[in-house]
Amino acid sequence: MQPMLRTEALSVGYGASPLLAGIDLAVAPGQIVTLIGPNGAGKSTLLRTVAGELAPLGGVAYLSGRRLEQLSDRERALELSVLLTERLRTDLMTCEDVVETGRLPHTGRLGILSPDDHEHVRMAMELVGVWGYRANDFMQLSDGQRQRVLLARAICQEPRLLVLDEPTSYLDIRYQIELLCVLRRLVTTREMGILMSLHELPLARRISDWVVCVKDGGITMQGSPEHVFVPEVIDALYDLEPGVYDATTGSVELPPDVR
Amino acid sequence: MRLERRTEGSADPLAVRRERVCATFALLFALLLVAAALNLCLGSLHVPLSDLMTVLLGRDRSSTYYQVIWSIRLPRLVAAGLLGGSLALAGLLLQTFFNNPIAGPYILGISSGAKLVVAATMIVVVGGSGILSSWMLVLAAFVGSMLAMAFVLAVSQRIRSASMLIVAGVMVGYICSALTDFLITFASDAHIVNLRNWSQGSFSGISWADVATIAVVIAPAAAFAFALSKPMAAYQLGERYAQSVGVNVRAFRVALIALSSLLAACVTAFAGPISFVGIAVPHIVKRLLGTSRPLVVVPASFLGGAIFCLACDLIARTALAPTEVSISAVTALFGAPVVIAILLGRQRRVD
Repeated sequence: MQPMLRTEALSVGYGASPLLAGIDLAVAPGQIVTLIGPNGAGKSTLLRTVAGELAPLGGVAYLSGRRLEQLSDRERALELSVLLTERLRTDLMTCEDVVETGRLPHTGRLGILSPDDHEHVRMAMELVGVWGYRANDFMQLSDGQRQRVLLARAICQEPRLLVLDEPTSYLDIRYQIELLCVLRRLVTTREMGILMSLHELPLARRISDWVVCVKDGGITMQGSPEHVFVPEVIDALYDLEPGVYDATTGSVELPPDVR
Repeated sequence: MRLERRTEGSADPLAVRRERVCATFALLFALLLVAAALNLCLGSLHVPLSDLMTVLLGRDRSSTYYQVIWSIRLPRLVAAGLLGGSLALAGLLLQTFFNNPIAGPYILGISSGAKLVVAATMIVVVGGSGILSSWMLVLAAFVGSMLAMAFVLAVSQRIRSASMLIVAGVMVGYICSALTDFLITFASDAHIVNLRNWSQGSFSGISWADVATIAVVIAPAAAFAFALSKPMAAYQLGERYAQSVGVNVRAFRVALIALSSLLAACVTAFAGPISFVGIAVPHIVKRLLGTSRPLVVVPASFLGGAIFCLACDLIARTALAPTEVSISAVTALFGAPVVIAILLGRQRRVD
C-alpha cells in the first residue's frame, strides 16, 4: 500500500545550513513511527518540515504520493494534523470550541460547522474521553486533560497522517499510557499513520512499529523496536556508559559506581 | 481535584450558547437605538422625543430642529458610530495579531503615528495651497499608522515579552504626540483653526461629505474583517495550529496589520486619536457573549464600539456644556478601568 509519508534525501533546518540531511523514512497506514534521540538532535525540526511549517532545504517529502510543497495549505490540512508540545493560553474557549478548530479545513468560507462536522467533533471527543468536559473552559483543565482535548482536535481533522511532537510531555504516567492506547486504537481502527517524537524510551519501545534514531545531523539507525532497543544502539545514541541502559526492562540503571 | 462535568442534565450547551448570543445582539441593537436617540435629542438645543420622528422623516424642513439635527447631529452621530465600530475592530484585530488582550491602536502608538503625519500634512498643504481633501487626510493617516506599526513590529521582533511591547507602543505614542505638539505650536497659522481640538480627539464638525468618505473606507474594511472570521478562529490556538488547519499565516498576518492600520487611520483622520475603545469594547463584548468565537465577536465588537463612542460623545458634548470635553478624555475614563480589570483577571488566572 502507498505510504502516508515518504521522504527521500530530505534536508531540514533553519536558514541555509541543514540541521539534518539525507533523511529517508516512510510511514505506512496503520503504522506508528517514533523518532528518538538526544535533545537538540533535530527531531522537532524534522516534524515541523513534514508538517509544512518549514520548507525543506533539500530532498523531497511525499504526502500520500504527492509532493509536500505542491499541496495547497488546505489540501495539506486534509492530509495531516498535528499535536504540539507548546502550552496554549485561550480566552473564553470551551473544550468543544478548541476541538472544533480541527474541522476548519472541512468548512466553507466563514468556517461554520455543519451537523456532520459536529458529529465528527463528538466522535473524536468521545474517543479520547473528553466529551464530558465539552462545555468546560479549556483553561480550567489539567495539563493531561488539555493534551487529550488537543488530541481530539487533531483526530477530528480526519488526517491520514498524525504528527505528534513529544505528546507525553507534562503528562503523568497514567495519562501517558492512556494517550498511547488511544494512538494505538486510532491506527488500527482508521487507515492512518502516526509519526511522533518521544523521550520516554520504555513507552517508545512498547508503542512503536518502527523506530528512527536521530543524531549528529541525520538518521543513525532505523528499524523495528527489537532491533533498536538494544544496549549498543541506545548507549551510542545517547552517549551512555555501557550497562546504563537495560534492554530487558527497557529502562535505565544508574552507573555501577553510583549504585 | 476532579473537575465537575458541566454537561449533565438536559440543557444542550450549543442551544444555551445560541440563546445567549441572540440575547446579546438584541441588547446591543437596543442600546444603539437608545444611544442614537439620546444623541439626537440632547444638547444645547433640546429636541423633544415626540418631535424627533417628524424631523427625521423630513416633514417640516424649515424648523430649527430640522437644521440642527440634519446638518449637525445626524452626521456627527453616524460618524461617531462608524468610527467607534472601526476602533473596536482595529483593537480586536491587533489583539489577535499580538495574542495580547491589551493591544489596541491607541496604546501601541498607531493612532499617534497617524496623528503626526496628518498634522504635518495639514500644516504643509493648508499653508501652501490651502486645499485638503478628506481623501488626503485618510491617506496621510494611513501612512502615519503604517510607520508607527512598522516600528512596533520591529520592536516585537526583538522582544518577546507582551508587556514590553505595550511599553514600547506607549513610548512611540508619546514621541509622536510630542512632535505633533511642536508642529502645532510652531505653525500657529490662522488657517489651522481646529488642529488643536482635533489633536485631542473630537467628533465635532463632521460633515455629510466626511461621512461619505468614512463609509466608503470603513464598509469594505469591516466586511473584510468579518471574512477573516475563519482564520481568526484558527489563530486563537496560535500560529502553528492555525497553519496546521490550512491558514496561510503570512497572508493572514499581513491582512490583520493592513486592516487594523486602515481602520485606525480613518478614525484618526476624522476624529483624532481616541483612546481605549479598541481594548475595552472587544473585552466587554466577549464577556457578554460568553465566547470569543470571531464569527460573532467581530460584528458584536463593531456594534459595541459604535454604542461606546455614541455614549462617550454624548457625555463629551453635554457634561460641561457649552464647552466640549475631548472625546479621548471620556473614553479613557471608562476604558482604562477595563484594562486594569483585564490585568487583574490575568494575574488571578496565573495564581
